Amino acid sequence: MTDKQVTGQGPEAGFRHLSKCCPAVRDGPALKEPPVEMSAAERFIHEAMEVIIDEAVKKATDVQEKVCEWQSPEKLRELLDLELKDGGESDSKILQHCKNAIRYSVKTSHPRFFNQLFAGLEPYSMVASFITEAVKTSLYTYEVAPVFTLMEDAVLKKMMELIGWDEGGDGIFNPGGSMSNMYAVNLARYRFCPDIKEVGLYNAPRLVMFTSQEGHYSISKAAALLGLGTKNVYAVPSDDRGKMIPSALEEKIELARSEGAVPFFVNATAGTTVFGAFDPVDEIADICERHSLWLHVDACWGGAALVSNQHKHLLKGIHRADSVAWNPHKMLMACLQCSAFLIKDKTSLLQRCHSAKASYLFQQDKFYDVSYDTGDKSVQCSRKPDAFKFWLMWKALGSSELERRVDRALAMARYLAQTFKKREGFHLLMEPEYSNVCFWYVPPALRGLPDGPELWRKLHTVAPVIKERMMKTGSMMIGYQTHGDKPNFFRMVVINPQVSKQDLDFVLDEIHSLGKDLR
Amino acid sequence: MAKTSPFSSDGGTLEPALRDLTQPLIDHAEGQLFLNEAFKIIVEEVLRKGTDAEEKVCEWREPESLALLLDLQLRDTGESQDRLLQRVRDVAKYSIKTSHPHFFNQQFGGVDYHSLAGRFLTEALNTNLFTYEVAPVFVLMETEVLKALRQLVGWTDGDGIFCPGGSTSNMYAMNLARYKLFPEVKTKGLWALPRLAIFSSPGSHYSVQKGASYLGFGTDSVILVKVDDGGRMIPEDLDAKIELAKSQGFVPLLVSCTSGTTVLGSFDPLDCIADVCDKHQLWMHVDAAWGGSVLFSKQHRHLMKGVERAKSVSWNPHKMLLAGLQCSAFLLQDTTNLLKRCNCANASYLFQQDKFYDVNLDIGDKSVQCSRKVDCLKLWLMWKAVGSTGLEHRVDKAFLHVRYLLEQMKKRDGFQLVSTQPEFVNVCFWFIPPSLRGKEGNADYQDKLAKVAPVIKERMMKEGTMMVGYQPLGDLGNFFRVTVFSPHICHKDMDFFLDEIERLGKCL
Repeated sequence: MTDKQVTGQGPEAGFRHLSKCCPAVRDGPALKEPPVEMSAAERFIHEAMEVIIDEAVKKATDVQEKVCEWQSPEKLRELLDLELKDGGESDSKILQHCKNAIRYSVKTSHPRFFNQLFAGLEPYSMVASFITEAVKTSLYTYEVAPVFTLMEDAVLKKMMELIGWDEGGDGIFNPGGSMSNMYAVNLARYRFCPDIKEVGLYNAPRLVMFTSQEGHYSISKAAALLGLGTKNVYAVPSDDRGKMIPSALEEKIELARSEGAVPFFVNATAGTTVFGAFDPVDEIADICERHSLWLHVDACWGGAALVSNQHKHLLKGIHRADSVAWNPHKMLMACLQCSAFLIKDKTSLLQRCHSAKASYLFQQDKFYDVSYDTGDKSVQCSRKPDAFKFWLMWKALGSSELERRVDRALAMARYLAQTFKKREGFHLLMEPEYSNVCFWYVPPALRGLPDGPELWRKLHTVAPVIKERMMKTGSMMIGYQTHGDKPNFFRMVVINPQVSKQDLDFVLDEIHSLGKDLR
Repeated sequence: MAKTSPFSSDGGTLEPALRDLTQPLIDHAEGQLFLNEAFKIIVEEVLRKGTDAEEKVCEWREPESLALLLDLQLRDTGESQDRLLQRVRDVAKYSIKTSHPHFFNQQFGGVDYHSLAGRFLTEALNTNLFTYEVAPVFVLMETEVLKALRQLVGWTDGDGIFCPGGSTSNMYAMNLARYKLFPEVKTKGLWALPRLAIFSSPGSHYSVQKGASYLGFGTDSVILVKVDDGGRMIPEDLDAKIELAKSQGFVPLLVSCTSGTTVLGSFDPLDCIADVCDKHQLWMHVDAAWGGSVLFSKQHRHLMKGVERAKSVSWNPHKMLLAGLQCSAFLLQDTTNLLKRCNCANASYLFQQDKFYDVNLDIGDKSVQCSRKVDCLKLWLMWKAVGSTGLEHRVDKAFLHVRYLLEQMKKRDGFQLVSTQPEFVNVCFWFIPPSLRGKEGNADYQDKLAKVAPVIKERMMKEGTMMVGYQPLGDLGNFFRVTVFSPHICHKDMDFFLDEIERLGKCL
């Protein structure tokens, strides 16, 4: 049998029959017969799914289990047996590879994972992800993705409704919020001067964009990628809560004008990455209107507040924006990636800006309404149907449950802030406006030191060591960073609805026990 | 920020909502039950029926009626598990079965179960590929997979990254070429630069045009080089076009060659193009998104002879290798950290420099994305399972299938090839219905012929029997393009394909 030559000689001769399930292994010489032996293939996929459910779903969300199983890169490389060889391996070995990948991966759905702006496990979204992977299609034409095309449209419409665009608009799901922010810059540039699409920037005046110093780094990356240059991103000062100061924006616009440059784009952030601060969108919108600038709101993180009646005031004025980036994969817990880019425009700006009219994909003589072929709105060609992951969970939970989750995340942050005030050694940087809680842990040995450079220098080394220790024990994960001249501090974000007060109490105890000897 | 004391923070008030926080809000038991039930449907409806030649490829519905069937509206309250399972069934039913043996519509198709397991696992682990901290396994795995792909290109060292699609990879190439020649572009923008020119062929992918406008060059800066009758770039014309551009004040930047063009499957002569690039000191990029997989095959890798002389290569294992969407590698010969220098923004909250491990493993700043999906596991797992030899067999087999298909077409009346000697696994052809045969001389022949493919396409989709793409090209009227590469198909499926075209088109 030719299988053997292809699969190589593994020790698991007893499992060799299972390797029949791989189509390539069974390719053999006969091209006349269909090579598929579905029962064996199904057996493998069932076994793999069992491993996934047990290890990557059940164990990963079990609070008794570790969040991570730290290994040094050198050791992990060995453990994973990464090398790709000529011969294939048996299915039992492949399943062992799956188990290893799970074991040494960070359990982002674990109730003690607070490291990023995504967390937790949303089973309905996960099911949608699985379907997406099994159906395996690309979202560019109605022809190959009829269901997902319609679902994307439905989700975008609903999100626009929450933004407050009563007249609707347009939009698209992107591979991440950075891409959405870049789309905004490109559209603003195109609206400002459509010729740029053909003739480029060479003859255009120097174009300048504005974002706060707290804005996401993707605005700078956009400037670099789109050929505008990072120096043409003017950083607008923020107040001590991290919110853009509107008068400072006005000054920067005047400054750019006085230099002979042409302002065209303002990015306001709804939910900054570190502090969770909301720029005053309404006031910024006034300025943009006055100066005829494109207003983009990066609500990747903060957009979730729009589903909450209690908290949507944080984004007051967002309906005045020209475009919005909003990532349901963050607080709303859709599986990665699920990033919506929404624009108010109803004149096909997105399509006109990005289209290349590929004749092999977007034939105009199709037998259905080709306005459903949305792919030319994208700068990508193949694009994943990410909206479905949000649609199915939304159907399952309803808007009201999404609202409860957001309310809870913000309540958790307030609870945490209250607790810090009562505990010795924990100090808040500021009251949380959203769900980001930034704080220092001060070990007992440093508590008597006077406020000054020596304390700050010593404090700066505390968070990295505690982080190292928590990862090596595997008990939890929390991110830390510096900010301006502030020494390293932790940022806690509680998104996961599986997390209760007890988990937060555990976190504080654990930080103390990991850091109390530091000096 | 102002130099305030790190400890200055005033009090707030405890809210009544806090008392609800003692219990988890989510019960995973129910979710897991749903997961199990949904998985059964996925296996039955998508995997079993979706690959069964006796079942339909698609279940056509007009957009308006499908929208009604799917009950798309999102409401305040949630739905029962039973209803949700019905929705899963609906999605499966009305989605195109891209793994079906009669799906020839795109450059992806078929299913590989090891890769599929890798995809399910990726989704379950739900992480982001930016730091070793949150994706230790996948940072190392991506590095390994990229290394193995580079070895096939012929590079012992280099760099690379997985991108969300080949278009993005092609844009990375343009951005890097620009940054390498004019590093100041990153901070000052294109205003600091002379007018740049990009060279490509008319058969190249449209992402070259999209990239040119997205990156601020403008589509006018893309200069199209002539191709021979097999759709391959003519190196002499490239040389001439470069000279011409120089004389017009352009600074030539990059040549985007194609290995496996989208429609005809042509391979540009890389070795000769590399000579021209050397002569003029241009960045040579090879868009091998479609054709790259021939590098696995000893028999067919000659099609990309000279690829090792490129500066960068795009290669999508999600196409011919069946790794699953998306799996797009961008490979670089550079060893000077160009990718990171070009794209980095040094975010302090993600790429802290005082971490306890080697922060060179935090590869996220090489990307223009922030969150980035793990696209390496599905390829790695499949590659582990079948080995390089298994992948080579798949590629070789696809070429054999194409030979069979061509032979069968020659035996039948009415099948006319666009390019008589297909280089790759794309077969482009017109179907000439009996009523048009022998009437090539008629004035309205081309118009009538161009209307044939759209009608056959409509019929096949409405009956759900198969799917194949068509397009015009230059002044050639609509023709079909069939791509044959799925390891699931056999001679019977190709016979069916030809029979079906005849059946649907004979009365036109």
